[in-house]
Amino acid sequence: MSIIPGRIGRVVLNVADYGQGFSELLLYCLRRVGALGRPPVRLVLQKQIYFTGIEALGAVTVIAMLSGIVITTQVTSLVGQNIALTAKIMLWTVVRELGPLLSAIVIIARSSSATASELANMKIRGEVNSLRLLGISPGDYLVVPRVAGITLSVVAVTFYFQMTAIVTGYAFASLTGNLPFVTSLSGILSTLSLTEVSVSLFKALVFGLVISVTSCYYGLRAEGSITAVPRAATGAVMRNLITVFLLNGIISYVFFL
Amino acid sequence: MISFDHVSEGPMRDLSFDLAEGASAKVIYDSDDRRNVFFSVITGLRRPAKGRVQWDGQDIYALEENERLALFERIGVVPAYGGLISNLKAWENLMLPAWYHRGLAAPQAERQVVALFGQLGLTEAELQRQMGQLPDQLTMYEKRAVALVRAMLMEPDVLLYDSLFNGLDRESSNRILSVTGEYHGKKAGRISLYLCAEDAVSARLTTDRTITLAH
Repeated sequence: MSIIPGRIGRVVLNVADYGQGFSELLLYCLRRVGALGRPPVRLVLQKQIYFTGIEALGAVTVIAMLSGIVITTQVTSLVGQNIALTAKIMLWTVVRELGPLLSAIVIIARSSSATASELANMKIRGEVNSLRLLGISPGDYLVVPRVAGITLSVVAVTFYFQMTAIVTGYAFASLTGNLPFVTSLSGILSTLSLTEVSVSLFKALVFGLVISVTSCYYGLRAEGSITAVPRAATGAVMRNLITVFLLNGIISYVFFL
Repeated sequence: MISFDHVSEGPMRDLSFDLAEGASAKVIYDSDDRRNVFFSVITGLRRPAKGRVQWDGQDIYALEENERLALFERIGVVPAYGGLISNLKAWENLMLPAWYHRGLAAPQAERQVVALFGQLGLTEAELQRQMGQLPDQLTMYEKRAVALVRAMLMEPDVLLYDSLFNGLDRESSNRILSVTGEYHGKKAGRISLYLCAEDAVSARLTTDRTITLAH
């Protein structure tokens, strides 16, 4: 009988612990953003943008193109060749929801586990302390550029995903429905409001911060043996997925309902 | 400048010593446990159960994180296994603190790096091969050589060498002895502290003081 309350209590404590660690790390990064001025830290930032942003573009392109084609096909099968309605539904799904969410999922799958396991490995091998013995703050050198790099990458990848999905979706619709591609695309883009784009990028920014800070948090709290490395990676991925879906719901509710 | 005042932690019991500016000392250990504890305590990584550890008259464990980092900009630490960062190539490891703290880029340091590695017995061709490798691809001697040159590039006031000669052949040990001995005298007031096992190499090492970590 006492097992269930015990488990609930543990979950609550874990969430509270994560919340506290997350806020502390986020505040640290905001306070220490000036560390990016140091050339070695900038190099870490550039590498992070390359690994998280540039290297993800292949997977993101494929997923965005397929999403655009699937959405256009489904909408056309429901409403027929109604370009205005197809445009609206396309924008709602791609710009408001799918763009930020799918981009975040791709980056969680690629970079969250990589970042958490890399930092966990460094922590366990004593490299975090080695940095301290060189007079280098591990937070400034390891965390700040990763948080900045992953966040910037999520925002850029989200925008790229949205544009690719929209263009591909309409190219497909034009091809199959004999619609003029350029006219219909410019019509769609003109229905995009500033609020729509801003909220979408705000979502991407929030997701980027969550993914990066959570991954660093799980990586740096690893202790003990090498088995802590996969635990850190799995923990970061699962926590990121849950948090991103939760925040996506909250932001959509606040801005679009 | 470095002071241990009745410091006890784990297997290290009631250790006291003072090292003034310009001094050199060897700390002889008889077990790896005692070595580990001493190294962790002196570098501020493990608070001792009793006693005080002071650097420049300040208790290292009373310093804020940023003050401690500032202190370590003036201390060159050469850990037993090199203390290299695994995802950085050897040359990135070598340049990291000098680039981070002093903005010293690789081309500016090249002549000094080549000279120091030359003294350690490496040719330019070997150096070029070694610099492009990750730490896990280097031998123990190569790791220590990178860590040694990395510390020396910072022109520190204090050098702390942890088990620098362990597992090395006589020729390699002699080279390191000669390089570190010469480097000690290059800056007035520099302290050199060797943490070493009780063996033939440590017997050849001439320092102002000998401290023994034992029961």
